[in-house]
Amino acid sequence: MRAPIPREDDFRSRLRSPAMAARIGLWLGICFGIAFVTGLISHYAQQPHQPVPFPTRPSWGYQVTQGLHVVAGTAAVPLLLVKLWTVFPKLFSRPPRRLAELLLHGAERVSIAVLVAAAIFQLSTGLANTAQWYPWSFHFRATHYAIAWVAIGALLVHVAVKLPLIRSALASDLDSDALDRPGTTRAAGVLSRRGLLRTTWGAAGIATLATAGISIPWLRQVSVLGVRSGAGPQDVPINKSAAAAGVLATATSAAYRLTVRAGGHALSLSLPDLQAMLQTTASLPIACVEGWSAGATWTGVPVRDLLDRVGAPAGSDVTVISLQGSGPFRVTTLPANFADDRRTLVALELGGQPLSIDHGFPCRLIAPDRPGVLQTKWLTSLEVDA
Amino acid sequence: MIRISLVGAGLSAAAYGGLLLAQRGWANFEATLTWLIGGVVLHDALLAPATLAVAWAALRLVRRERLGPWAVGVVLLGPLTLLAIPVLGGFGVRSDNPTLLDRDYWAGWGGLVVVVVVGILVARHAERWRRSRVPVSVPVSVPEPISVEGGAHGPRDGGR
Repeated sequence: MRAPIPREDDFRSRLRSPAMAARIGLWLGICFGIAFVTGLISHYAQQPHQPVPFPTRPSWGYQVTQGLHVVAGTAAVPLLLVKLWTVFPKLFSRPPRRLAELLLHGAERVSIAVLVAAAIFQLSTGLANTAQWYPWSFHFRATHYAIAWVAIGALLVHVAVKLPLIRSALASDLDSDALDRPGTTRAAGVLSRRGLLRTTWGAAGIATLATAGISIPWLRQVSVLGVRSGAGPQDVPINKSAAAAGVLATATSAAYRLTVRAGGHALSLSLPDLQAMLQTTASLPIACVEGWSAGATWTGVPVRDLLDRVGAPAGSDVTVISLQGSGPFRVTTLPANFADDRRTLVALELGGQPLSIDHGFPCRLIAPDRPGVLQTKWLTSLEVDA
Repeated sequence: MIRISLVGAGLSAAAYGGLLLAQRGWANFEATLTWLIGGVVLHDALLAPATLAVAWAALRLVRRERLGPWAVGVVLLGPLTLLAIPVLGGFGVRSDNPTLLDRDYWAGWGGLVVVVVVGILVARHAERWRRSRVPVSVPVSVPEPISVEGGAHGPRDGGR
């Protein structure tokens, strides 16, 4: 007579074994570690006030870390699914009878439930965010960041609990049955352990190749599931259009002026005024938090030159304001080290042509090694507090 | 000692995450909790039983020793399809931004399916061809059983 709910030892496959779970878990842990560290970097880069200034060099730094963030998260999807498959029988393990053991068992079950919930949450919300799909009501950035800490914390606890088993499993032969669950058959199944491992690495590889072209240009042709092909006005994709920002009229108005202010000194510059100033050209990537990036050549006036005109001393943080009426990044802080870097421009041109309206016409901020959301478009004001 | 430090660090990190979440207020927490629980329920109560059902049906429809390549196909394409849901659904498409989700994702997904299926068929035929060329009298190790295993021993109980 069979129980309606399976027992752990009803699952007999040799593939659902610690030997497999430890090996896939190792790579899954590496992916989560990379995503966590690069996530922290991205979060810090977006902080308006940084105790240690985020560096302006290398200019492609953020492009690489955020590209890695999304690639690691994407590669983790097949790894997580196969890992959960290999340990699924544990879901049905019977709790021990003795109270002390029961408490420990319960605590471990809770930690694993938290880990699995947080891991699925991070991967699913992160993936949806890359495609700008928000079928939820929580604040994405803050919540993805909070749950990242929960996930990495639960992962550390899980590794601590399983450490002896992980060590034994990684040290023994893949086909050893010494650590197998009771009831595991010794007979060969549909796939060998090595076969499933190789297939899992293959699945992670295909997932990476199919999506990574958003940050690695030479992969664009094969990244058929990438959220962007790389095409766009002036060969650079856009994240927020002028229409969405509600700036179509104000950005193209003849009355447009860029205000630069420091203390009591203020300057009001029209587009021809800006064009008349000494122009600088810089090759800087635009790298979005959603993982995509594109290299581009920008021409405009160094922010530092404008600050000099109003007597703002070196080492001043700058408040950057966009024409857009609302949005979390309408007003941002450009830290002093970015403002003083000669490659940080109020850009007027992209690829030798005036900025298209969706790229921030009449002028936008472009700075090295900076998240795309902080590369403010449709600039209206640069302000330094006295 | 390492394990105790790991537990300490882990509990601190998770508690910090919980604190950050709490700071966003109750409505945010409720919405987050729905997704946290929803993800586990979708996996444990839907996806995992579905894979069991598929495996059960496959074992009854196809001989075990011929299932290997199709298991490889499921592992390669299943997760890939799940992670492609946001782009396949095109939920984030915006009429004012043609640079976002600007590929034919169904065609791309179909292409990947074709590549994987063709790859599996080629690998299967290559393996059969290799096996057929192994002289019977010379002891030779069996080729790497990446796709099919247990063929020489007949079907055995290895399932669930």
